[in-house]
Amino acid sequence: MKLFTTALTTTLAATALFSSAAYADGEKIAVFTKNLTNPYFQMVRLGADNAAKTMNAVTQNYVPTKPDSIPEQMSQIEDVAVKKPNAIVFIPVDYKAMATGVAKLNAANIPVVNITDRSESGKFVSFIGTDDYSLGLETGRFMLKTMGGKGNVVILEGVKASLSNVDRVRGFKKALDENPGVKLIAQQPANYQRLQALQVMENLMQTFPQIDGVLAGNDAMATGVIEAMDAANRKALVIGINGSKEAIDAIKAGKMLASGDPGGFEQGCLGTMVAIRELRKLPVPKEILFPAFVIHKGNYQAFDIAADKRVCPKYEDLVKK
Amino acid sequence: MKSTLRIAALAAELKTIGYRLAAALAICVVLTFLSDAFLTTNNLMNVLRQASLLFLLASGLTLVILTAGLDLSVGANIGLSACIAASIMKLTGSALLGAACGVGIGLTIGLANGLLVALMRMPPFIATYGMLWVVHGITYWFMAGTTLYGFPPAFRALGSGYFLGVPIPVYLMFVFLTLGAFFSQRTTYGQEIYAIGANREAARLSGVPIVKRLILVYAVSGAMAGLASLVFLARMNSAEGDIGEAFTLPAIAAALIGGTSLFGGIGTVSGTLVGALILTLVLNGMNLLTIDASWQPLVTGVIVLLAVFFDTLTRRGEEARK
Amino acid sequence: MNDSTIALNSPSALWAGLSRVPGVAWILGFLVIGFAFATGDFLSGPNLLNIGLQSVILLMLALPMTLIIMTEGVDISMGALLTLASVVLAWVLAHDGSLMLALAASLAIGLVFGLANGMLVAWLKMPPFVVTLGTMGMAEGLALLFTDGQSIVVANDTLAAVYGGSLLGIPQTLLIGAIAYVFTHWLLYHTRFGTYIFALGGNPDALSLAGIRTNAYLIAVYAFGGLMTGLAALILTSRMSSGHPTAAIGMEFDAIAAVVVGGTSFEHGNGWLFGTLLGVLAVGALRNGLNLLTVPSSVQVSCIGLLVIVALLIDGFKGKK
Repeated sequence: MKLFTTALTTTLAATALFSSAAYADGEKIAVFTKNLTNPYFQMVRLGADNAAKTMNAVTQNYVPTKPDSIPEQMSQIEDVAVKKPNAIVFIPVDYKAMATGVAKLNAANIPVVNITDRSESGKFVSFIGTDDYSLGLETGRFMLKTMGGKGNVVILEGVKASLSNVDRVRGFKKALDENPGVKLIAQQPANYQRLQALQVMENLMQTFPQIDGVLAGNDAMATGVIEAMDAANRKALVIGINGSKEAIDAIKAGKMLASGDPGGFEQGCLGTMVAIRELRKLPVPKEILFPAFVIHKGNYQAFDIAADKRVCPKYEDLVKK
Repeated sequence: MKSTLRIAALAAELKTIGYRLAAALAICVVLTFLSDAFLTTNNLMNVLRQASLLFLLASGLTLVILTAGLDLSVGANIGLSACIAASIMKLTGSALLGAACGVGIGLTIGLANGLLVALMRMPPFIATYGMLWVVHGITYWFMAGTTLYGFPPAFRALGSGYFLGVPIPVYLMFVFLTLGAFFSQRTTYGQEIYAIGANREAARLSGVPIVKRLILVYAVSGAMAGLASLVFLARMNSAEGDIGEAFTLPAIAAALIGGTSLFGGIGTVSGTLVGALILTLVLNGMNLLTIDASWQPLVTGVIVLLAVFFDTLTRRGEEARK
Repeated sequence: MNDSTIALNSPSALWAGLSRVPGVAWILGFLVIGFAFATGDFLSGPNLLNIGLQSVILLMLALPMTLIIMTEGVDISMGALLTLASVVLAWVLAHDGSLMLALAASLAIGLVFGLANGMLVAWLKMPPFVVTLGTMGMAEGLALLFTDGQSIVVANDTLAAVYGGSLLGIPQTLLIGAIAYVFTHWLLYHTRFGTYIFALGGNPDALSLAGIRTNAYLIAVYAFGGLMTGLAALILTSRMSSGHPTAAIGMEFDAIAAVVVGGTSFEHGNGWLFGTLLGVLAVGALRNGLNLLTVPSSVQVSCIGLLVIVALLIDGFKGKK
């Protein structure tokens, strides 16, 4: 029976139209994200749900109950290997430490699409993500250009261990290297947390009477910085990363300069589409890196809609992007 | 007779607070030498404002610890209270209604803790740990990964406003310091709470309504978490599901550094204030000197150990003299 | 707890027998039956094996925790200590140390912290919660500083074989867990050390009046906790093939919950080691079953809290009768 199906699918693979009709029957796609609290992962889940719905598949979400817990995601992988969904869309909570987990999924012969953070090892149908380095670089460049290539700048880092933080900060630093007139006066971690960013900023403002720009590793920290600045009646250009609704409203109000958009919603969409297409034996790309996109005053309108109202772009458009 | 006892108690209290204030001052002196920015009005206001949120949370917790209890759910409580208050405010536009709901949710969680601990006689540690998970779950479900932001300016003054050059939360801190000190030191309720912590059986025999008082302290602790959540909202102008997580252990640490004993019956709300100040000064100093914040958990751990170690030594010394 | 021989020949005797079954056994029973009906995968061999494997690390913390709680103490540094030991173990392996050397380092760290906890508690009469809160901060900080927030990846087959390998057809991890359980059981119920632990919680004064050096035993209990944590670090590291600076933060609270749910009380040296095993399995079965049923994560979070509260409620109501 199994041999027969394999033979059948191989034959059908040639005619894409045929097979997509034949296999459009509610595949189960397990979606792994890092936590329940960060809006970015909510965007990924919404994108995945939306894509699955339009393609007549269903998603099942696996999120650690303790945010970013490695042992818990490991257990969820083991549980999923028993449950055997048709395919998996996977964000590792840690890009290094989940290697054994990925090996288990590979051993269970479940196709896995890796999105957002590139896992260090394992076999994947494809990787879909944004280059965090160029995201940091482009958003940083945008701010430094607006500053006219001179002034004092502070970097607020996210969670030290995370891949996104390492790459974003590397991008920020590269942008700073290109602008020798700008001085990096402090670099502190605020763990992607709003309150920590606010307090760190309040303290830094005491030491440094002149801060012209702040490069924050995500939008939550950027809004914390803005609150601190407002309360002290000081002004600085602030950028964040994530392209969250909150950041877009702040850009609209002129409080935030820009936010780098990693395209969480699109990543969720495309990751799920690729997983389903793989199951339906349609051609899929090996790797898609969304170009770094900087949302600013001039272009925010396209992003100014509620998260749950967004609809996935067409597959062809996403791949072209 | 009674007044001499009271004077002796006051003297002992002043002594324990005195040591701690001296320690806090020592940190200040060191920081003044190391950083020009430290001894400025702005920075000191900063420290006070940052300490206020921690103190509001830790003050209610202090009462719980005085009864030899513990409340691990305060951080989760802040998260849910803030999120509900925020969504009510967004929905109705009424800051007052939102604030009332925030404190109300905090109070409800506290009451539930109190019922489990006092009526069902569950170990506080475990009952409030279970509550922590239940409350987190509700918060995550309610927020579904979103962020609520943008509140009325009148409400925001509670967190980021000034009066006569002093931040509003600092006034709140001193109001609740006074209330807490009066309640615990000068009322029968307060005496009874100390009595329960010192020796529960003796307190019961002398007619202290233990169940009622325990429910009261957990309810107060919950309501203070609700209030702290409002100050957080007003300061940050936004809320998401995980905001409370970082608060629980620092709040417990503040009470412990402030001289409150986990065995119950010993400690003061004013000590907790000094504890909160010491923890805040450490973070402030690290930022001013741009020291990597990774050192923070380690330094906090050492301070907690030193403070309690010191307390144990002095208490033993006093007992030996008696 | 040898109630299995009760004659169930009349309804009242049956009731009397049932009411002696502790809350945790009820809960575990209900969970197993409920999940078995709800999803066919639950009782499958691979899934039961999963629950067992996933529970071993928690069990290895919960076993010594039972002893510690029986002395009216608590150790909240275990999760942070497990993390620190794990990154050190990974570091030694990554620098070409042998597995034995790495394990020795991990055990040594566990022993040092355990001894420190014990000495501060026993000699200085400091509250165990405070002592271990302090050492927890230190272990957490050291793990962060030691790794600079990065994972330490270990590509070492010997290490991977610890978690994945099996001996005589039985997975090694399960064997290690079983040995840990049997050893702790022997220690608690068949040695003088165990007898003193019961006495330490029940009536320490009588013990010291009898001329027994209570402090030495108290220190030994915490040292045992440290050693078991060091051993658990081997399994954790092997499971992830890496060390991560926040991997097990907070796990001590799960262990404490499992112990108390299992019927050990914070007062009077009432301890039940088998109950701890049941408590650990109840937590494991609940998480696993909810994952299989793909219950939303937010509901899972609340369910874990409810498990703890309900187990205590059952015991509380039975206590009143």
